Amino acid sequence: MINVLWLQGGACSGNTMSFLNAEEPTVVELVTDFGINILWHPSIGLEIGEQVSDLLKDCISKKIQLDILVFEGSIVQGPNGKGTMNYFADRPMMNWVKELSEVAQFTVAIGDCATWGGIPAVPPNPSESTGMQFLKKDKGGFLGADYKSQAGLPVINIPGCPAHPDWITQILVGIATGRAKDILLDDYHRPKTFFTDFVQAGCPNVNNFAQKVDGHFGKRGGCLFYEVGCRGPMTHASCNRILWNRQSSKTRANHPCLGCTEPGFPHHDLQKGSVFNTMKYLGVFPQDVPTGQSKLLYYARAGWEKVLPTNKELTVTSK
Amino acid sequence: MESKELNISPVGRVEGDLDVKVYMEGGVVTRAHTQAAMFRGFEKIMQGKDPQSGLIVTPRICGICGGSHLYCASSALDTAWKTQLSPNALLLRAIGQATETIQSIPRWFYAIFATDMANKKFASKPLYQEVVKRFAAYVGTSFQKGVTASGRPVEVYALFGGQWPHSSYMVPGGVMCAPTLKDITRAHAIMNQFRNDWLEPVWLGCSIERYLQVKSWDDLMAWVDENESQRNSDLGLFIRASLEFGLDTFGQGVGKYLAFGTYLHKDRYNRPTIEARNDALISAGGFYDGENYHALDHMQVSEHVQHTWFKDHAPLHPWEEPIPTPVETSTILTETDFDGKYSWSKSPRYMEHAAEAGPLSRVIMAANPANLEHQNRDPLFGDIMKEKGPSVFTRTLARMHEAPRIYEYINEWLGQIDLDAEFYIKPEERDGKGWGATEAARGALAHWIEIKNGVIENYQVVAPTTWNVGPNDGEGKPGPIEAALEGTEIEDAHDPVEVGMVARSFDSCLVCTVHAHDAKDEKELARFKL
Repeated sequence: MINVLWLQGGACSGNTMSFLNAEEPTVVELVTDFGINILWHPSIGLEIGEQVSDLLKDCISKKIQLDILVFEGSIVQGPNGKGTMNYFADRPMMNWVKELSEVAQFTVAIGDCATWGGIPAVPPNPSESTGMQFLKKDKGGFLGADYKSQAGLPVINIPGCPAHPDWITQILVGIATGRAKDILLDDYHRPKTFFTDFVQAGCPNVNNFAQKVDGHFGKRGGCLFYEVGCRGPMTHASCNRILWNRQSSKTRANHPCLGCTEPGFPHHDLQKGSVFNTMKYLGVFPQDVPTGQSKLLYYARAGWEKVLPTNKELTVTSK
Repeated sequence: MESKELNISPVGRVEGDLDVKVYMEGGVVTRAHTQAAMFRGFEKIMQGKDPQSGLIVTPRICGICGGSHLYCASSALDTAWKTQLSPNALLLRAIGQATETIQSIPRWFYAIFATDMANKKFASKPLYQEVVKRFAAYVGTSFQKGVTASGRPVEVYALFGGQWPHSSYMVPGGVMCAPTLKDITRAHAIMNQFRNDWLEPVWLGCSIERYLQVKSWDDLMAWVDENESQRNSDLGLFIRASLEFGLDTFGQGVGKYLAFGTYLHKDRYNRPTIEARNDALISAGGFYDGENYHALDHMQVSEHVQHTWFKDHAPLHPWEEPIPTPVETSTILTETDFDGKYSWSKSPRYMEHAAEAGPLSRVIMAANPANLEHQNRDPLFGDIMKEKGPSVFTRTLARMHEAPRIYEYINEWLGQIDLDAEFYIKPEERDGKGWGATEAARGALAHWIEIKNGVIENYQVVAPTTWNVGPNDGEGKPGPIEAALEGTEIEDAHDPVEVGMVARSFDSCLVCTVHAHDAKDEKELARFKL
């Protein structure tokens, strides 16, 4: 049996809602088939009041073994580092997190707020929010760059706004079935099994991207990278391989990828002209180009394709 | 008479951080204070940013009502930018709003509310064993079916928005998507599965059409007894057990109801303006003061901050309000001065009244005889309010009652989408003021925006939970949940399940706003168990 404690700080419950949409396994199956014992969860936990604080204290004193600490939401440190903008069970939540993370076998940050601070940490960051082990792209965060859980791993970051339910449940199942050693992490502590490829892999508009056919809102066909700010080519995530809610993904529904699994989300900090608009260099060239490509080379190739498209039929779509 | 105080932190299963302090005499709550315990400052984050920031930021205020925030954010820009909306855009936004709301119905009932009906407080009641068998957390037979079914309607949301939660597919000027034939046909099929897997066999025990013939309290009672299938459905069991357990006897509230209304008619709101909104609504809005209906006027909204951990200002309409500035005096429940500031939630008022928001308000508006032909006209809760009045039971019944009607709307709207017509008409950005509103699953939600020099000058969000869980106003009048707790009889101070049931009947969503505590003396605190 694996004891899981799930807490929320500066959260919106979006990751919890996403988790409840899980399919293989469902949340109920996670409990009944994989021996996951949810000690407490703010939305589906039964205990209230002192029953909760007693449970947390028993975890800290190791009377109850805490196998996995799951944290959703930013670590609220305001005002002035006191953390009193987020009380939980009669204490600043950040104090609970500090003590619980010291006894947890594994510490898992779920969603952008817990991983890198997310929306609450956008300047001017009124709640002094940070992520568990990163603040945006900078390592450190609340627990510090050197933090390791009892099992010897840093915080396992499962980003996304929200995280896909599969990313959450598969990591829990991985630990429950004794495969923790197979969880390889990238530089931002993301499990490589989900965050090696780009959102663009599996996007039905990838041919339009290659030929620089521009797409727009409310019409089928074309690629949303050039004008409305799609970040599919520079965002590591498997959204177009495992699909959301069994059905779709942002780019399949003609919604530009927002790059929410990267630590820069929301990119350009919402500055004027950055929302659903491709930020341009010299008024023409996309400021951000596909990851791994040199800007100059990319601009040259893009210009060539734009002037001499090889297959105009690509823009034709069917209802 | 013995006086005591209870401090409950956290209350739990209310989505977010709620603490409650209740004062009791002779086992009855005489006064209660709700405390919202978390602050993120989203309005401050948006100030000075891109005018469309609300489309990305505000769905993240609440992951449960994110689609509702998106609906408000895009509508606020529509009115500020004077956009044009095609019938398709209005239909697809309404479908998104409706699928998010219908998803919340089984998810809330089984995961948040009904598990308390399995509390040992009710163990001596004849229906208790059956309630435990079906509604107990995780293992209840209906708990599993209901929670699983709740994921279906948002699959339809994902077909048009890419994913749920946290899509931004509604934008000023329409929607991003351009659905294909297969999206529409799949959506119909998924909704059919929702009806066949849960809504009809498990929840109603009859067809949707049969249930919608219920027009009065007497009809409803006759419906329960009509046959074994209806009597033993989850709705039938819920009604019988609620009356047996006394859920109709507590949690009354302030007796005033506010709904902003939602689902804009595809042909009646193609040039969105604030003034034309009321008549274009399918689910009507309004204010019911306990005796009379008043037409909705957003200018009647003001927010008080006297008991909120924000810098003081007079009660103001959201367009006039400053971006909130936190004061540094937030404290834990046990040390809070309830005569001063005690919550992160503001106290919104309508015509200076505290008003309850939520499904009960919506079904009361549906019973307004003045509703137009194209609006939802349903007399049932007009009659139930006369016969039974508000309570934990009435409020919960109202929430569940909406499922069949919303189901029918979604199918109707899917059928009206014209695959050859426009989905998006590019608007022109401009400075100005806007207002967008809707009914989130939990009730009246609105965004007010002011755009100046091409960036956001002011953005104010008033969420349903702000209406319900807000603290006292400047005149000391309690908020709806505070008022609903008064008079509640607590059988066992060590297991005050009644407090939880009252708070949960409002489906408070504290990630939008709040945290509630209860205060107790040292000795009581040490013994206190829920």
